[in-house]
Amino acid sequence: MSAIEFRSVAKVYRARRVIDSLSFTIEAGERVVLFGPSGCGKSTTLLLIAGLVAPDSGEIWLHGKVVSTAGRIHAAPRSRGVGMVFQDLALWPHMSVAENIGFGLRARRVAAAECRRRIGDIASLVGLGDYLQVRPGELSGGEQQRVALARALALQPRFLLMDEPLSNLDAVLSRRLRGEILRLHAELGFTLVYVTHGQEEAQEIGSRTIELGESRAL
Amino acid sequence: MVTERLVLVAATLVLAAVGLLPVAAMLKETLIADGRFSLEAYRALLASGDHLALLMSHSLQLAFLTASLATLIGVPLGVLLGKTDLPWRSALTLVFAAPLLIPSYVLAVAWLSMVGRTGLLGGILPEAWSREIGSAFFGLFGCTFVLAAAFMPIATLLTIAFLRNINPELENAGRLVSGWLGVLARITLPVVAPAIVFAAVLIFLLSLGEIGVPMYLRFPVYPVETLTQFAAFYDLRAATVTAAPLLLVTLAVLGLQNRLHKRVLQLGRQTPRGEAVPITLGIWRLPLFALVLAFAAVVVAVPLGALAVQSFSVDAYALAFARAGDSILRSLAFGAAGASLLAVLGFFWGYLAERRTLFLWWTNEWIALLLLALPGSVIGIGLISLWNTKATSFIYASPAILILGYLAQYAILPTRVVAASLHAVPRSLEQAAWLSGAGWIATLRLIVAPLARRGLVAAWLISFVFALRDVAISIVVYPPGADTLPVRILTLMANGAPSVIAALCIILIAVTLLPLAAAGLWLKFGVARP
Repeated sequence: MSAIEFRSVAKVYRARRVIDSLSFTIEAGERVVLFGPSGCGKSTTLLLIAGLVAPDSGEIWLHGKVVSTAGRIHAAPRSRGVGMVFQDLALWPHMSVAENIGFGLRARRVAAAECRRRIGDIASLVGLGDYLQVRPGELSGGEQQRVALARALALQPRFLLMDEPLSNLDAVLSRRLRGEILRLHAELGFTLVYVTHGQEEAQEIGSRTIELGESRAL
Repeated sequence: MVTERLVLVAATLVLAAVGLLPVAAMLKETLIADGRFSLEAYRALLASGDHLALLMSHSLQLAFLTASLATLIGVPLGVLLGKTDLPWRSALTLVFAAPLLIPSYVLAVAWLSMVGRTGLLGGILPEAWSREIGSAFFGLFGCTFVLAAAFMPIATLLTIAFLRNINPELENAGRLVSGWLGVLARITLPVVAPAIVFAAVLIFLLSLGEIGVPMYLRFPVYPVETLTQFAAFYDLRAATVTAAPLLLVTLAVLGLQNRLHKRVLQLGRQTPRGEAVPITLGIWRLPLFALVLAFAAVVVAVPLGALAVQSFSVDAYALAFARAGDSILRSLAFGAAGASLLAVLGFFWGYLAERRTLFLWWTNEWIALLLLALPGSVIGIGLISLWNTKATSFIYASPAILILGYLAQYAILPTRVVAASLHAVPRSLEQAAWLSGAGWIATLRLIVAPLARRGLVAAWLISFVFALRDVAISIVVYPPGADTLPVRILTLMANGAPSVIAALCIILIAVTLLPLAAAGLWLKFGVARP
């Protein structure tokens, strides 16, 4: 049973078929890189896995259960066990680092003490222990990246989706964070789906690459 | 560029001169007696303190209750209309925006044409009941209800606008771990909170300066006292002194929300990344649609319908045209002139607000907001203090003084509309023109204005509508024999037949909304998108 399975999935955005009959499988614990030119549907594929958008046709299966079919989302995003690092990080500017990381825990009504412990643990894991009360706007690019990563990992997701997470960082910082992502993957064992259009990044992060073709106007 | 600086500084100076000089002249009037500095007028003001304190407390109560009610209902309504898959969202948004486009006292007339003794309910219910309901509508309750309905669109429209600007990824990140209710409560609404608070403060200030509704529903408030000093006793000095506390309250409230205003402007400049995902209401879609539809009927359609029914006779309209035909033409002419000037100046104010090429942009923005928030009666009295001299009587005694009032009070409207439309015109397009050898004015004329033409037309329209619905400035400064339609209706209310008043209100709504609808269609189909 595959962790993620796409069966002839298609998605149209603004009169463009960004994904056309896409099929693939990803096994549990794999590190897969989605690779391809701009606009080929890499980010849309992540949104489809997360359940944030529904496909126009085809089926999406997670761990043997159908979660999305044409125009319908059967399993809500919050029930899919997905953590995601967005391209622009999407850190909530009005919350502190701790509040950003702990949002999902509180939404699941985890007890306050347990919440604090887990926020502390995950923050230490990504090296953010000293910044918990700071707001994201006061952090550097690399630190913000870690907050996004910590937030995505806080609920111990089965899938970690990363949408060009290092695209705005300089080469040195990008290389260091790639190392950290690999370390966290080895430590926590999630299934990683990583979007990039950088060849070097794809080779270093992925144990396998899925190449997507160009989108087509309808 | 030197030309750019000169023109933008000049535009800011025009706003300061049009808006701040009258306020300064008003204050001077209160401090100078017989050519000497004197605080006598303020001593007299303090001596009559109890009466004025009561009026001020009425005004503050009314403003607070109106702002609270309008925000409490307007924001959830904005979320439903701007964020969900509710049916007929665009049409409902237009329906709910309608009360903002007509003078608020017209809504009061509309409501009384339904619940008043001679209203529709009066014919259905037993007389004692209808008398009871009608009298309950006078005073604080009725004023709050009518003003909340009139100003609620501010909260609703601002909520819709800022929800569109929010980065959808912020919400998507929340949706991975929480349902929409949690995302709305802890992410979406807190992110747009500055805009919501801003809307509440604006509604508070607009209600504070309201004249028409409290006059009609007989609730004694401070701005009406200012007007009475001027109109009934023709005591300009007493009127200016009485107006000073209103100016102080407005300045204090605006001073407190200075930072908030900057944050709202910053929120408004964000460009949404990615496509917003609407909230799917599921099984709640139709019940909520029915609820919103019923609310639209109660707040807008039924009272305006009752007004139309009350006016429904040829005689009423014939009499209405006979008694106010000249005022209708004047309103249209003054409104068009004011709107044209506002659109031209607003283009430069909006350019400065969006491009921020001079530090003056914030001064300009702040003055414009202050002038919108100032009670119209204060601006009116200021205009008279400034222009009522021998040398400037050609302005004081002509419609020009009315146009100056419109320019002052409504400057923020074209500024914001133009700034929003310029946001979509990249600065690089201007830079390319400069590199090609075009000067700043030529670039504005050939590149910026054509690309922002939809914004310019919208700026003209919104200025026209607000000039047309203006009561507070017009009632203070209109030249002899040259009143506008809203002023004529207000003065006829004292002894006019209800059917004629209703007919005049319908005419006022028609002359406001019909040009708006025509221009809206033109904007949609006649002006090609850049």
